[in-house]
Amino acid sequence: MEIKTDRFRETVQKELVNPETQKFLSFFPLVLSAMRSATLAGLPDSEAALASAAAIRAEAVERLPELLEEFERNATAAGARVVWARDSEEANRYICDLAREKKVACVTKGKSMVTEEMGLREELEKAGIEVWETDLGEFITQLLGLPPFHIIGPAINVPVETIRDVFLEKAGLEEPTNDPVQLGYAARIFLREKFYRAEMGVTGVNIAVASTGTVINVENEGNIRHCKSGPRIQVSVLSLEKIVPTMRDAFHMLRVLCMCATGQSLGTYASFDTGPRRPGELDGPEELHIVLLDNGRSAAYRNPKTRDALKCIRCAACLSVCPVYGKIGGYPYGWAYSGPMGQVVNPLLLGLDRTEDLYGACTLCQRCKAACPAGIDHPRMLLYYRSRQAEGDSELKGSGAPWSGKALHRFYSAAVRNPALWKAMAKGLRWAANRYEKDGKISRAPGPAEGWFRARDLPRFPDRTFHDRWKEIEKTLERGEKP
Amino acid sequence: MSANAREWILSRLKAAPGRGQSFPQRPPLPPLSALGSERAVLVDTFRQKLEGVKGEFHPVEDRQALCAKLEELFKANGVRRVVAAADSVLATLDLARWAAGIGVELRTPADFTDPASFKDALFREADAGLTGADFLMASTGTLVLAHDRGQARLISLAPILHIAVAPADRVVADYEPVVAALYESSGSMPSQATFITGPSSTADIQATPFTGMHGPRRLIVIVVTR
Repeated sequence: MEIKTDRFRETVQKELVNPETQKFLSFFPLVLSAMRSATLAGLPDSEAALASAAAIRAEAVERLPELLEEFERNATAAGARVVWARDSEEANRYICDLAREKKVACVTKGKSMVTEEMGLREELEKAGIEVWETDLGEFITQLLGLPPFHIIGPAINVPVETIRDVFLEKAGLEEPTNDPVQLGYAARIFLREKFYRAEMGVTGVNIAVASTGTVINVENEGNIRHCKSGPRIQVSVLSLEKIVPTMRDAFHMLRVLCMCATGQSLGTYASFDTGPRRPGELDGPEELHIVLLDNGRSAAYRNPKTRDALKCIRCAACLSVCPVYGKIGGYPYGWAYSGPMGQVVNPLLLGLDRTEDLYGACTLCQRCKAACPAGIDHPRMLLYYRSRQAEGDSELKGSGAPWSGKALHRFYSAAVRNPALWKAMAKGLRWAANRYEKDGKISRAPGPAEGWFRARDLPRFPDRTFHDRWKEIEKTLERGEKP
Repeated sequence: MSANAREWILSRLKAAPGRGQSFPQRPPLPPLSALGSERAVLVDTFRQKLEGVKGEFHPVEDRQALCAKLEELFKANGVRRVVAAADSVLATLDLARWAAGIGVELRTPADFTDPASFKDALFREADAGLTGADFLMASTGTLVLAHDRGQARLISLAPILHIAVAPADRVVADYEPVVAALYESSGSMPSQATFITGPSSTADIQATPFTGMHGPRRLIVIVVTR
């Protein structure tokens, strides 16, 4: 997909006044968040469950290369083909070549953020292959050419009239209807034919299990199960951090993932693949290809301060509690991953230079950190990105602070270390600000301070400061008088 | 490309600084349910959880009552053609002959010689898919199917109605015994295992929920108590 992280500000301006966006943001994150809390409250010990999830992720990240080798060994023994890809280009090339070599005409895809990240659909289409997104929300975004609005509901904000019109035009809807259920059934009928015909199914992976070589998907619709049942070739794209040591760890993470993502005890369908179909089985893929994707992850891993980003399980609990996401929705983040999750992940995969507004757009309120079942400290990471960007860290593609910002901070640093200069400046500033006073309030100021006053006033600065008055009081006391 | 990429990625990961010295010792995973092992409690919790995700639950006493219930369900839903799994529950029930007696065509994987005709039957012909279940997980209302020759994947997926039958002694509290049986025993692991919690569902258009998106619109579980 097209990367639009550099258009954050202009997209924010549009989304803040987009009634469809604002309507959904007014309840969707709140509902998801409440459902998460309610489901967690049903556990015998939810704190222990979340702490264990974070511990599993910490161990998985710590032991990542060894777990990947173990996974590869076991998946291969079960008959899967494990392929390693340094970046999206390598992964896309492998999958496109495979499709061409096997004479695949039609591919069905499950919803997967990692294939969004790779731009796989676009590459397959360029290779002349028919590709269908089969998750209802992703199908709608495919037909409309939109990025995902939310990782759970990619098209949840799209009005029914828009869906009706595009279904009439492109998805075989015969009678116009504004009923979401009827629109859904039209998509069912349309995509069922694709499932029937598809020769290759492509999915992401929610969790991979090192000790068994199993890949796991969880979903509600059944489209991923279709992608893994009918076609003769299955491609599962595994972003390399999604691994856990054992099957028990995997099931624990699966339960926590579902609870945190949608407030479900378990998603409708969780399917566990250990190798392709066995001899004599009537369905399931004859070939299972597992593409292990790096695409910037090993670079993030090499820095102990950015390594924690690889703990993320993409549950999106952080989106539901983020005050910034709650105002602007998913589009401004400009890529596959949005909200605090995207603010942490996108800069590492794309570079600090083209994602500055993402890690800048954080109030450091810590709610994401509190909601995260994987134990990520988002605010700390965002502060780290800001500092590396200012320093021009070449590993993370930091471009360095602009000269004006650097000059300002140098000047500030000199001023705060010189009391006489500081006092003189403060005095000058008080005088300058008080020139805009009206009825005891300062409600505007020219230049860079203008924005600050948009939602705030300052009281008039008194002519004498506390320090001035204290000196006077001391003198009075020294004279033996009462102040 | 693949061999080079493998070495490139692994060597970068292994050379990462500050890694591998220690990671905190993990306490044992905490249980996610406190259900105990009393059969009646497990079955009742399973029913509640299943109904909570829009599944339907019917208890029956024995094979005869099961057949009566199936006949009633087939009639009520206009089911004339069924594809049934040949799994450890259904294989012992000999349902094909019984179904023929009530005018319902019931086929099992053994009736298909090739995958294409099997796919046709499930996509184009079957009014319902009938399966057993390896386990029922009470704490989540989940049906566990381990796929193999007899338990083909599409039976519980492609038809609009999925009916599952399981004896009450297959109800367990949570995932631990399931993982132990399927992935930690000496036998071979299934090529695929599916955990089904309710009928296929979505809320992707305007957050309006409905069932039957790509899989079954209804999921009916019949538990045989004796």
